[in-house]
Amino acid sequence: MKKLLNFLRSMRFGIVLLILIAALSVVGSVIPQERAAAWYAEAYPAWHTLLLALRLNRVFKSWYFLALLSLLCLNLTLCSLLRALAVFCGPQTLVEGCARMKTLVQLTPEGLTKLEQHLQSTGCRMTDCGGARVWHKRLYGRFGSFLTHLAILLTILVGAAALYLPQVVDLDCMPGESVVLPAKNGGTARFAVSDFRVTDASGRLDYTSALTVTLPDGRSKSGEISVNHPLSFGSYKVYQQSYGTAGSVTVTNLENDGSDVFLLAELSFLSLDNVNGLWYVALYPDYIVTASGERMPVSNAGGGYPRPIYHVQLAENGEQTLRFLVPGDTVEVGTLRFTFNEPVNYPGLRIKITPTAVNALLVVGFVLMLLGLTLLFFLPPVLVRVDGEGYAVGGAKSEGTRLELKTLLKDCEREAYA
Amino acid sequence: MNALFFVVLGLYFVAVVLQFSAAAFKKEKLAGLSWPVFVAAFALHTLFLVLRGVIARRLPLSNQFEFACAFAWGIALLLIVLRVKVKAVWLSVAAMPAALLILSYAALQPREITELMPALRSAWFGIHIGSAVFAYSAFVLAGCVSLRYLRMKKQGTADELKLQQMDYLSYRLVGFGFLFLTVVILSGAIWAEQAWSAFWTWDPKETWALITWIIYAVYLHLRLRRKKDAAFLAWYLIVAIPVVLFTFAGVNTLLPGLHSYA
Repeated sequence: MKKLLNFLRSMRFGIVLLILIAALSVVGSVIPQERAAAWYAEAYPAWHTLLLALRLNRVFKSWYFLALLSLLCLNLTLCSLLRALAVFCGPQTLVEGCARMKTLVQLTPEGLTKLEQHLQSTGCRMTDCGGARVWHKRLYGRFGSFLTHLAILLTILVGAAALYLPQVVDLDCMPGESVVLPAKNGGTARFAVSDFRVTDASGRLDYTSALTVTLPDGRSKSGEISVNHPLSFGSYKVYQQSYGTAGSVTVTNLENDGSDVFLLAELSFLSLDNVNGLWYVALYPDYIVTASGERMPVSNAGGGYPRPIYHVQLAENGEQTLRFLVPGDTVEVGTLRFTFNEPVNYPGLRIKITPTAVNALLVVGFVLMLLGLTLLFFLPPVLVRVDGEGYAVGGAKSEGTRLELKTLLKDCEREAYA
Repeated sequence: MNALFFVVLGLYFVAVVLQFSAAAFKKEKLAGLSWPVFVAAFALHTLFLVLRGVIARRLPLSNQFEFACAFAWGIALLLIVLRVKVKAVWLSVAAMPAALLILSYAALQPREITELMPALRSAWFGIHIGSAVFAYSAFVLAGCVSLRYLRMKKQGTADELKLQQMDYLSYRLVGFGFLFLTVVILSGAIWAEQAWSAFWTWDPKETWALITWIIYAVYLHLRLRRKKDAAFLAWYLIVAIPVVLFTFAGVNTLLPGLHSYA
């Protein structure tokens, strides 16, 4: 049991796990992930069966990849626990431990003076420990490695939660309309878009929606969202995800003169009696006029809708008539008049529902990792024991200090016996 | 702007030629001449990046050309810092060609100044991509130090203390690069969550940044274990350079993903 525990917490095991994770990541990046099985059959005809059997089409969700990550977490937990014992001793214990070291480099008296002057000038403090003087600084640096490993562990665990816990919904919302989502604990959350623009004040592309989020408890928050600027409220976060262009048709009832504007993005039938009316089929960005004077829709490689044209079918008394109409055109079917307007852009929203604590914990993990790495690489502790004979460098990350002193005192060494 | 770019490229080329001529013909004077030329190239390189930033009204880091220019600048900056701080004169012969090669790659890329796409207009833009410049530069320089380590060890032109210092310098460079690569990955995760709603999507660029991170994490642990000798670790850092270069340029070209615009 002890042998197994030692193996699981060992650096060697950690290194093997890291190499395996990196190797699988290479595979996962080279083979496109999460496509349909037919795609792999076409792209890799010779070995798609093996590829699918080994789950190389979804490496990052495969049981073996998740098992490796779990083992890495176990390795990090065990080595962090072990490390905690070493780093959570007080500074005095470290100083006393260093004082108990044997002199490793013997120096001439001039060398000793030079050494202590150097240590003093570099900001080290001296503690007298029964005959030996221990010079030290930045003892907090000992937390670097521990913090880094702990933060990596936290990041993997919370990162997994951040990847798999959120509920994500993509939906389109026409300006002036709203969409509702059922909330987990009953009630509904409402997302209303009052305006949508595809350019900012200076004319640059910048997709912006004016949005109001109303939580199930009635509280609401308004704001603008754009790419990189989502709106957070409660456990909801709303992103400017995409945009589309919808047809706009004003329908007037000739009997009572009442009219309404309909924004249409998909096949729809506008009718009073479900028999006579107008089928909205599609909106095209551009058109050409044929020799016979008919309009023919064409695509627009440059993007946008420079000369939009509506593809509609008029349904009247059981007969269907295909028509291509442009903004400004009007048709009448029965008692309804359809006036075609300029198309309207609408936003595609992404609504993410995440427990608030997950994001906060992840950011804590990130901050701890950067703090740990900074301590580890830039602020390592310095511990030097000096007596009448020479000196010894203590501490876990002592290589820099050892080399620095060796370079400084190479002409003052009497005998280096270690 | 184009003329200034090619002047910079030309000066780096002259510096490298002088450096290699000095080594080939054992003329120290030529090496002495190479350094001021290199520093002049670096000064003009800095001016070029500043001017491009002023004209574009943003940090010049938005495409392969701009990033490669900044990458080469990062290598040159770190080389200058190391020459001043630790008198690493011996590093020039390996690091100068590295800067020149990266800038030559930039010369092959489209050089137009383009407007930032909405997804890139973020406060994280400078932190995320700027950190990548320093991370990649440090890793390439660590490889250059290792190259010199192996060469000087083989030639017997450095004593044991000097070799230990070189080995430690490559470790420090990896530590520096590792911290910055961590900033790249973490800031990228936060940015991705704001722009695309997910911290991590296993996009090829993200994945290769992680692979690079793991490769250097393994180096740091191997060095800690001290089971491998310094020569092995030096070879390791040299072999790791192509991975860094693949993460920088190869991924964008060969593995399409969310970062393909870069």
